[in-house]
Amino acid sequence: MNPRIIGMDVLFSIKSWWRSRGTVFWSLLFPIMLILIFGAIFSGTGSTNFSVYVQDHDHSAMSSQLMDIMNKTGVLKITMVNESENVTKYIKDHDIKAFLVIPNGYAQHINQSFVDPNSKVNLTFYYDPTETSSTEIIRSVISNIIQTMNMGLSNGRNIVGLSTQSTITEKFNYIDFFIPGMIGFTIMQQAIYGSIERNTKYRKDGILRKLLTTPITRSEWILAKMTFMLFLSFLTTTIALAVGVLVWGVKVNITPLMILTIVSSSFLFSGIGMIIGRFVKEEETADMAAGAISFPMMFLAGTFFPLAQMPSFLQTIAQVLPLYYVNEALRNSMIYMNQSLAITNAAIVLVFAVIFFVAGVLLTKWRED
Amino acid sequence: MVTKRFQCPSCREIASFSGSAGEQVIVTCPSCLHQGKIVFPAEDTASYAIEVSHLKKVYGNLVAVNDISFNVKKGEIFAFLGPNGAGKTTTVEMIESIREPTAGTVKLLGEDTKTSFDKIKEQISILPQEFHSFERLTVRETLEYFSKLYKKQADIDGIITALNLQSYEKMLYRNLSGGLKQRVGVALSLVNEPDIVFLDEPTTGLDPKARREVWQVVANLRQQGKTVFLTTHYMEEAEFLADHIAIIYKGRIIAEGSLDDLITTYGRGSVLHIQGCTSSEALVILKDEGYDARSEGNGTIAVTITYKDRVLDVLSTLRHEAIDYESIEIRRSNLEEVFLELTGSKLQEAEA
Repeated sequence: MNPRIIGMDVLFSIKSWWRSRGTVFWSLLFPIMLILIFGAIFSGTGSTNFSVYVQDHDHSAMSSQLMDIMNKTGVLKITMVNESENVTKYIKDHDIKAFLVIPNGYAQHINQSFVDPNSKVNLTFYYDPTETSSTEIIRSVISNIIQTMNMGLSNGRNIVGLSTQSTITEKFNYIDFFIPGMIGFTIMQQAIYGSIERNTKYRKDGILRKLLTTPITRSEWILAKMTFMLFLSFLTTTIALAVGVLVWGVKVNITPLMILTIVSSSFLFSGIGMIIGRFVKEEETADMAAGAISFPMMFLAGTFFPLAQMPSFLQTIAQVLPLYYVNEALRNSMIYMNQSLAITNAAIVLVFAVIFFVAGVLLTKWRED
Repeated sequence: MVTKRFQCPSCREIASFSGSAGEQVIVTCPSCLHQGKIVFPAEDTASYAIEVSHLKKVYGNLVAVNDISFNVKKGEIFAFLGPNGAGKTTTVEMIESIREPTAGTVKLLGEDTKTSFDKIKEQISILPQEFHSFERLTVRETLEYFSKLYKKQADIDGIITALNLQSYEKMLYRNLSGGLKQRVGVALSLVNEPDIVFLDEPTTGLDPKARREVWQVVANLRQQGKTVFLTTHYMEEAEFLADHIAIIYKGRIIAEGSLDDLITTYGRGSVLHIQGCTSSEALVILKDEGYDARSEGNGTIAVTITYKDRVLDVLSTLRHEAIDYESIEIRRSNLEEVFLELTGSKLQEAEA
């Protein structure tokens, strides 16, 4: 390893990158534009998730009846949760957007109300505020059911009430969701396309053949290119965060896990680019292949829209897409601050990175057949 | 195996013989059957920059390069000439360690490339075929980039001046014309002051003016004592530049030697054109004398000359017969004819 050669290569890469207005646009201005546009369009809206988890502490005919009514609306999909589970922990661990708790004594309070006008009972609705529209729908469906029940029971006296509680202590909105996705997406684009250029264009242009006969080793070259890639990744992150913080007032936390995710994802997507470049040798075809891989990934991996909004088969697909884990790791490590989700996702990204980068390095070579 | 031309001491005909280096053999002149002893020159490996031995490359059923052997002397421009698809680039890339040979060995400056390629990287430099450098670096930056990869770094200013690139040094590589790009390509192959420079088709796709400019640059490399290995499919390029030419055709070397060697051995010799002949008898007389003569119309007679002294013989025959003529012209056989003779087709036609 010759640090002088590596440093020199990085410097020339930056120089040449800066001169390519197109590349600078796509890696810096494009994310800024998207953050501004999407932020303006979607601030305050969310997704439509109609799945609701219910914990029944009452086990009465009345509580069963309530769930039965909820089921019959056809809008809500009820999943029962064992009453021994701790609500907050369960919500956090399973990333649940809507959770309804029927308290012990629910039936008793209702029966009591016929004799005692002051008898009241409250159901507790836990919801994810980032999923505003879906949780709003669920909440209003439940409220309507309760309202109808109250009417039937007592001509509108509020016997059964609904108290709401956010699953997250801070309030998040769409832009909080979007910025980490934008960072993940931009890193993916830069790394895949950069790596494809080096493995198809540079091969066609004879640059790799020329380098093969010079003293620079392939490891030095790869290290130099990855250093440059990291420079781009952190530059993108900085700019996206700056816009997010200054324009949309996003609260961001710079954490070691976030940095780890950015580094891992740079390696991960460079590895994917190398693999594409290995199998698709024509530069234009390789670019198309990269588009065919990254474009659906952008939509399916929850970059712009929460996964919960998509049909369940697409959600299953998302679970195998590396970008999904990058997005989740970034969101949880820098915005939502859900430590356990951040660790899990960052670890998955790291594993993906090792696999794809090692495969990419092993599969590509400078020598010709 | 060494091929050497010898002139017969009796009839002065020139004939080629092959034998092992340093070997002494008795040979017979094909022309006058005179016998004599000849000695093939001893092999002096220290004077070779490139030694290629039984090099072979097979792709599936296709034998791209078929058992090629040759040596390139230090300080010479060696042209590897052949039509597209003959195996030129495959061969040169095996020599440059870019492709792995199926069989055979390559030595550069005495080092086996299979085991010691890293050792000689500092001493060689290549210009790959259709080379296109980093688009967004200037000419000077491109030279600096490649120069900094080496321990031994040539003076960039010197190279820029030598290749007459002063007016373009601040231009981005992508904005250069094709000829300038190739000139920069040659310049790049000088940044480490190499002993051997490989140029793979350096003028393909260039217009005649740009081609001449690149030739001039390559010719200057010889003056600097560099060994140049040049692949080309342009006959004129090999004729203009090369000290030594190997013709490759369908994966094999079919002829090798200096331009003169090749023309003498395989060409149809020179042709003497006698213009404005006064006598219609001239053609008959020359044919009777045993010359390969033919009429080219307009009173011009063409006589094939196998070696130069025969020109005087032809002219003295005419004078003896009192045949007058307006002018004479001797046209030398060229590589195109050599190639035609060897393969039965013209080089451009042979391109796969």
